[in-house]
Amino acid sequence: MTGPQPVQIRIGARNLTRRYGSVLANDAVELAVAPGTIHSIVGGNGAGKSTLMRILQGVDWPDEGAVILDNQPVRLASPAEAFARGVGMVHQEFMLAAPLTLLENLILGREPVGWNGLIDWRKAKAEAARLAGLAGVEIDWDMKARAAPIHVRQILEILRLLYRGADVLILDEPTAVLAPLQIEELLKLMRKLKAEGRTILFISHKLEEVLNCSDAITVMRAGRVVANTTAETTSVEALAHAMVGDNVPAPLIETHALPTGDPLFSVRGVVARDPVGFERLGPLDLDIRPGEIVGVAGVGGNGQDELVECAAGILSPVAGAIRFAGADLTNASAARFRRAGIGYVSADRRHEGLCLAAALTENFIAGREHDHAFSRLGFLRGANIRSEAVRAFEGLGVRYGALGDPAGNLSGGNQQRLAISRELSRAPKLLVVAQPTRGVDIAGSAFIHNLIAAFRDGGGAVLLVSESLDEILALSDRIVCLFNGQIIGALNRPDASVETVGRMMLGRKAAA
Amino acid sequence: MTPIALPRFANVVDAAAPFALALALGAAVLLTAGFEPLGVYRLMIQEAFGGQRQIAATLTAATPLLLTGLAAAIAFRAGIFNVGAEGCFYLGGIVAAVIGFAAPMWPPFVLILIALATASLAGGLWLVGPGLLRARLGVDEVVTTLMLNFIAIALTSWLVNGPLLARGSANSATPMIAPNGELPRLLPPTTLHLGFVISLAVVMLYGIWSRFAVGGLRSRLVGLNPRFSRAVGIEPAPIFLATMIASGAIGGLAGGIHALGLVHRFVSGFSPGYGFTGIAIALLARNSAIGVIIAAILFGALSSAGANIQLFSDVPIEIVQILQGAVMIFAVANLGFIWNRRRNAP
Repeated sequence: MTGPQPVQIRIGARNLTRRYGSVLANDAVELAVAPGTIHSIVGGNGAGKSTLMRILQGVDWPDEGAVILDNQPVRLASPAEAFARGVGMVHQEFMLAAPLTLLENLILGREPVGWNGLIDWRKAKAEAARLAGLAGVEIDWDMKARAAPIHVRQILEILRLLYRGADVLILDEPTAVLAPLQIEELLKLMRKLKAEGRTILFISHKLEEVLNCSDAITVMRAGRVVANTTAETTSVEALAHAMVGDNVPAPLIETHALPTGDPLFSVRGVVARDPVGFERLGPLDLDIRPGEIVGVAGVGGNGQDELVECAAGILSPVAGAIRFAGADLTNASAARFRRAGIGYVSADRRHEGLCLAAALTENFIAGREHDHAFSRLGFLRGANIRSEAVRAFEGLGVRYGALGDPAGNLSGGNQQRLAISRELSRAPKLLVVAQPTRGVDIAGSAFIHNLIAAFRDGGGAVLLVSESLDEILALSDRIVCLFNGQIIGALNRPDASVETVGRMMLGRKAAA
Repeated sequence: MTPIALPRFANVVDAAAPFALALALGAAVLLTAGFEPLGVYRLMIQEAFGGQRQIAATLTAATPLLLTGLAAAIAFRAGIFNVGAEGCFYLGGIVAAVIGFAAPMWPPFVLILIALATASLAGGLWLVGPGLLRARLGVDEVVTTLMLNFIAIALTSWLVNGPLLARGSANSATPMIAPNGELPRLLPPTTLHLGFVISLAVVMLYGIWSRFAVGGLRSRLVGLNPRFSRAVGIEPAPIFLATMIASGAIGGLAGGIHALGLVHRFVSGFSPGYGFTGIAIALLARNSAIGVIIAAILFGALSSAGANIQLFSDVPIEIVQILQGAVMIFAVANLGFIWNRRRNAP
């Protein structure tokens, strides 16, 4: 699938290698992005995309080889240097100052200054309006960043790069948090920017989008470039095959007849606030029975985070009651939720699901270090811990170097497997799972889906929250849709489709 | 895929760098002042480690630093930036001294044990307030513990100027403790005393605890990532409180040992900043037990060599103080790590 090398390279890499300890994150990577094109980079987790982007942006440095800018090999010492040469990046986690307005965020760091040494707001507004017009979007510039919907924040991040004069935009999984309509808008914006001669590096797992918008496509696997192709000459199947090698992704998980009987987990009239103090959830009623997966669909920011945190005992609701296995857990500590038999796979595995600086074994036993299996008389039983960890890691196919390595050395997908192995080995009755496959490749996602299904088949109850509609539809026995913090509709899997649930996600009641 | 764990070699270089930089700075100052740096440094090493007497003096000077360094390290490990060891040192000192002179008839073992236990207790209780404020309300412990230092120093100073002032004494000091209460000397006529062994043992116990105990793992996880700890069911708040109390108790013990072992009473100005030097030691040591031992002995060497060097040369003691200060400043560059961690942890 290797096409001819374009003569002109706006940004690229030549023979670029980067090692982290024994892990070869980038292995002699060659990349050539022509100016004025949308170039997509696809690949599974641990494929080395993030490392490559960090290097292209000057955050990290290659051990061998070089970054190419305008046909010349260069050494980028810092993101500022990359920026000075026109390269800017929109990160997966947005870098906005929440208490400031969108306009303030736009000009932050490059404020237009008037003759009197103060910020020239008129000029700032004019510039903002010009950029919004150029991008074909309407933005309420006086809105606080924290109040802005997620897609507006994303567009703002892109406009900020334009404001600062970037002409190469690196977009790292920009569509991961967007609803279908918003994705369409983003792709439109990207095409518009391309038409103006800007170069876009687009990173995504969603192959349809990639085919939809790209000129050139580079596929990475295990740190290497395995294919260079174009949207016209390839297909979803071909790309997927190049990404995963010879692993075949699993089909939909089979659904069962819904269990009846007493709910294991039951939420009544729960209302919860986000950290800033806004009421984001509720009042909400929800029951989960043993042996079913309840999927929560919804566009990000409609109360899913708060629902997950309430169900895991991290966040105390301001009203309502949470009962689990006959006990009242309202306002109980997270530790009590766990003792009662609730497991929690966090959406934020880097900060909440795992402790990246701690060893694999420490991550594995965390929270159970006092169990008899792992300690005696207050001292850890190292041999037991290691053998248990090895067993669990092998069972879940966690790929690691040494048990004493920090969890941060693992690739994203393996980190997720580590987090799940810890939760499953506690043998919970209810598993609260948020975004289990965010940033995980196709083969890894299928594996995780099968684990969750096996847990259900063993009589476990699952609360699944995901922004990926495909995931919800593939796994859930029952689907509820959150909109503005409330359940706007509920469907059983046989009745659910992308169209019905997608409509509910945008706030329209299900057609009964 | 950020490389978080540096190889061990890099850790050693990291820890030694502040000393190397400080020595370079000191050499520059010495040169400017017209001294020959290598000769002065050779003399200092001689005065710190050159013989039994010198080594004993170094270890004596290192004794309080072992425990104040540990007090800081055990707190930093759990993500608590306790700077209150200095105040605990004063309180532990005065409590041990009072018991030492008030109960002269008790057998030595009992007297010493009770005096040191009470000194620890005083130090631990002193930090219950900041511990609760941090655990319950999230009040920044840097401010509370720093302020409590001033209160502890002023309180003990008032006590030795008033109620506890030794009869007939002109300076602000308690009466001498009973001989029963003195920690035995190890190498007479040097001042090295049993307190060094006790302190060393406590630091080694910490080393074992931090690596192999359930509590050690919990405190590390809470220090590294409180949000993660909560999610897996390790509540950070009780650990913050327990850590603060343990840190204060170790600071109090350090003061008690200093009173019973070296000073043999409590005087105003009891500590020349041992609690603060302990912070630098813990930062250099990256909270490890072995690091605390090495750093405490190095700081002990600096101060004992500094005291002697002006006897045997015309190098002023200020040059040694510049060295000490420089090591601390460069050590505090490590503070960035802890600070970043605190900031990133919501």
